[in-house]
Amino acid sequence: MNAYLDGRPVPIQRLSRFLVFGVVIALAITTLTARLFYLQIVAGGEYTAISTAQRTVVESIPAPRGVIYDRAGRPLVENVPTFAVKLRPSDLPVQFRQEVVDRLGSMIGMDPTQINSIIDSNPGSAFDLVRIAGDVDESTARIISESSGQLPGVEVVVEARRHYTQGSLFSQIVGYTGPVSAEQLPNLRSKGYLPDDMIGKAGLESEYESFLRGTYGTQSVERNARGQKTQVLATLTNVRPGDSLRLTIDTKIQQEAEKALSWGIRAIGNKRGVLIAMNPQTGEVLAMVSLPTYDDNAFARGISNKAFSKLIKNKDLPLINHAVQAHYPPGSTYKLVAGTGGLADRKISPTTKVATKPYLSIGPTRYWDWNHRGFGACDIYCGFGHSSDTYFFTVGGMLGIDRLAFWAKQYGFGAPTGIDLPGEVSGIVPSNKWKIDALGARVFPGETYQASIGQGYDAVTPIQLINAYAALANGGKLFQPQVVRQVIGPDGNVVRDFEPKLIHKLKAKSSVLQTMRKAARNVVLVRHTYNLVDLPIKVAGKSGTAEFGTRDKFGRLPYSSWFVGFTPKDPYHGSFDKGDSQLVVLAFAYDSRTKGNAATEIVKYFFQLHYGIKKDYRNFDLMKRGNFYRSE
Amino acid sequence: MGVIRAEPARVTDWAAKSIGAVWRAFDLQLTTYAGLLAAIGLVMAYTNSVEDGNLSFDTQTIFTRALMWTALAVVFFILATAFDYRWLRTLSWPIYLFELGLLVLTLGIGAGVGGAARWIAIGPLTFQFSELAKILMIIVLANYLASRQGKLDSLSSILGACLLVGPPLILVMLQPDLGTSLVFAAILAGMLWMSGASLKWLFILVAGVVAFVPIAWTYILRDYQKQRLLSFLDTNPDIKGAGYQLYQAQVAVGSGGWMGKGLTNGTQGQGDFLPVGTTDFVLAGLAEELGFIGVLVVFTLFFLLLWRVLVAGWRSRDAFGTLFAAGMASMILFQLVVNAGMVMGIMPITGIPLPFVTHGGASLVSMAIGLGIIQSINIRQTRAEW
Repeated sequence: MNAYLDGRPVPIQRLSRFLVFGVVIALAITTLTARLFYLQIVAGGEYTAISTAQRTVVESIPAPRGVIYDRAGRPLVENVPTFAVKLRPSDLPVQFRQEVVDRLGSMIGMDPTQINSIIDSNPGSAFDLVRIAGDVDESTARIISESSGQLPGVEVVVEARRHYTQGSLFSQIVGYTGPVSAEQLPNLRSKGYLPDDMIGKAGLESEYESFLRGTYGTQSVERNARGQKTQVLATLTNVRPGDSLRLTIDTKIQQEAEKALSWGIRAIGNKRGVLIAMNPQTGEVLAMVSLPTYDDNAFARGISNKAFSKLIKNKDLPLINHAVQAHYPPGSTYKLVAGTGGLADRKISPTTKVATKPYLSIGPTRYWDWNHRGFGACDIYCGFGHSSDTYFFTVGGMLGIDRLAFWAKQYGFGAPTGIDLPGEVSGIVPSNKWKIDALGARVFPGETYQASIGQGYDAVTPIQLINAYAALANGGKLFQPQVVRQVIGPDGNVVRDFEPKLIHKLKAKSSVLQTMRKAARNVVLVRHTYNLVDLPIKVAGKSGTAEFGTRDKFGRLPYSSWFVGFTPKDPYHGSFDKGDSQLVVLAFAYDSRTKGNAATEIVKYFFQLHYGIKKDYRNFDLMKRGNFYRSE
Repeated sequence: MGVIRAEPARVTDWAAKSIGAVWRAFDLQLTTYAGLLAAIGLVMAYTNSVEDGNLSFDTQTIFTRALMWTALAVVFFILATAFDYRWLRTLSWPIYLFELGLLVLTLGIGAGVGGAARWIAIGPLTFQFSELAKILMIIVLANYLASRQGKLDSLSSILGACLLVGPPLILVMLQPDLGTSLVFAAILAGMLWMSGASLKWLFILVAGVVAFVPIAWTYILRDYQKQRLLSFLDTNPDIKGAGYQLYQAQVAVGSGGWMGKGLTNGTQGQGDFLPVGTTDFVLAGLAEELGFIGVLVVFTLFFLLLWRVLVAGWRSRDAFGTLFAAGMASMILFQLVVNAGMVMGIMPITGIPLPFVTHGGASLVSMAIGLGIIQSINIRQTRAEW
């Protein structure tokens, strides 16, 4: 039966099915309500805590970095506001990444592969900002911020960039800052560094990082799921701006040094050299130039891979501060060690005459004096003055290698001077122990000869060498050289003032040092340094010609020239009897191969500039290439 | 034989009596509950459109779009109420073909996220035809089962109903939209149940579906669908990855407490921690801002709404009306359970909207049409007497 008799269809409703359906509805809604009650009421507190925790975050407030002044208070680095482009990888959908990177690359003129490698080497998590480029010009920055729709995850932030007012003049000294690297970050996180943070990478920027950086503040910030800040809730700790530095170096003296050195290097037709000026009474560095140089601003702006690899591949190593980060054989300047040692150990007296000869023999080997003739019977003034090799072979032989090493260490060789610049190397002072450790054999007598005249295994840094002569010039105090005079707090108060740091006093009587000063003056007086004696100021010093490398087809070695000189307190009328010198200057011309000693001419030119000597005493002829020095 | 009284018909009498009868038969309660749910949806659309406390009246805000869809839904509701539902029986086969056509069209030219084809653009609007297809399916099934009256406990009726539901269900699954295709299955189950189908055969059918699950897992489900299901079952889910939405929804619900954080103050929704907080996860935002009490109101409204739909089915004097109401009730209940369960972490994530509240346009308009048909059934029962 499917219809009543009148044709009306029979209703199909069955009460049981309706009731069951109703029960299902009631059960379903009851279950949902029970779950709701559990989530909101029973576990509600827990979820509220999670909700609060994930929307508030403690954020760092960067501190303004301290600046650097020269001795006279001229700023060498300033903070300039610039735009930086940063990217938060978590906001950049993977499928759009290449498109966005290409678009960003064309906007800021960067290679997309470089951008990709920056993102991939991101030291932080995907939620941390990655620095893509700094120093973006204002119009580009504006375009990027306005096209955020096409550049998901990309943000433009205003930040302070370092501007080095004397970019290449102070390059290796002041140094530069750069982004924290992935390797550094784990150690720096606890010190409050952020993944997109900057850190000193070279020079004083690196050495004084802890002072310059200051202390970052913190604030609690409400943010949304994309990590964007919605509002600042509270400042938790205040920012303390970084301390500033005031150098011992005066820009004017630095300019004189740079002018003298670059003239000399260019006259030779070469690239590499060092000039340092120091106050021997305090260890203050007054000028320090290492050539070739580079511009710190290139790094501050974010150096391109191409420009960086060019610097890296330069064989004269512009990124190295050759004054402290490289060592070279010292040549005859090192005769100071054997001379002082011989006198102090009483192997010789100031009047002892040593017979100098064309050469000394050990077995079949001949050790030649540099002029192949010798200088007759010589005392210390004659031997040091003419730089007689056979004189110092003899004195060095009397001392023996280990006493020679002792006196070298007295002068500060073989150990870092402790100057407040990064990457200082120690140099080499050969001794029996050193040679056994390094090469497994004792020092041969011939090697002791070589060590006495600054050849063979001897290696010194320019800063060690000038510091040794500073100790001679001041009467026996070996100071730690310093380039920072004051650390100045953000309020302008001096946090750390200058004080000389004595390493030790030389274990030589002052009479011994007086004798050596006179001997150094004799170098000038006997015209070993040509017309240096004609200058209106009084100079004592020692030149050096240091061979290195491999012999050419004529059996000649390339060589570098050195000169270290100092003046009395009164450079015009004073004498070298007292250790009252206030200026010691060193020049080093790498691979000079000149007719005369190029370094002497460079120091002479520096003195002329520094003391305002109008007459030009430079011997341009001596700067010509011509390998006069033949050794066998 | 009585006396034949020949009186001229009084048009005003007839009209007054008729309108009164219609008004009495019209279920005001049903309309009120649905209207309140839609209003809550509008409030949530408003709160999601507010930024920094200001509402901009751009044409493109979520709120203004929701307002427009609501107006459209009201129009369709009135039209469906006025339309005599008995015509639907006559038009049943064309409606079925139309439904299939819509779904094929969606597969062909539809757009969606991540390779899915779900929406069709009509001018500035996008429309998800599968929402409308659900209502059309209920009409077609109700007609088929009503025409099988008297043979409803036979296997052939059950198989016939399955054959009818099969093609649209598969077409939706191909989009792929697993959630909506499950709604089709729920509609079928609810209507078969209410048609009085044989319990024996229904049991066998359910057993068959359960046996089919491993096959579906291996051959039909896409990787992301499996991942969602696995993430749901995982007791220690990856809250940064596949379990992120689920986790953030629970944080939103959980942090709401008794009274909620207040409208527009939900940090989960406003801070964008909650993905799709404006559509499928609208209940999470509601729970965060209006709290336990607010969601309880929503659940109560759903309970009352379902009750009124069932009452309409019970009162219907023809099988079509009863079955149509059963289909609507099944659909609303299933979507409520799956959507609210998903938000509260007791159901896997599927893209099923919360009826009336979610302001996806197609869902609201389709629901309005469905409710309009229910009202059409209500008001035509008195006049069906003869």
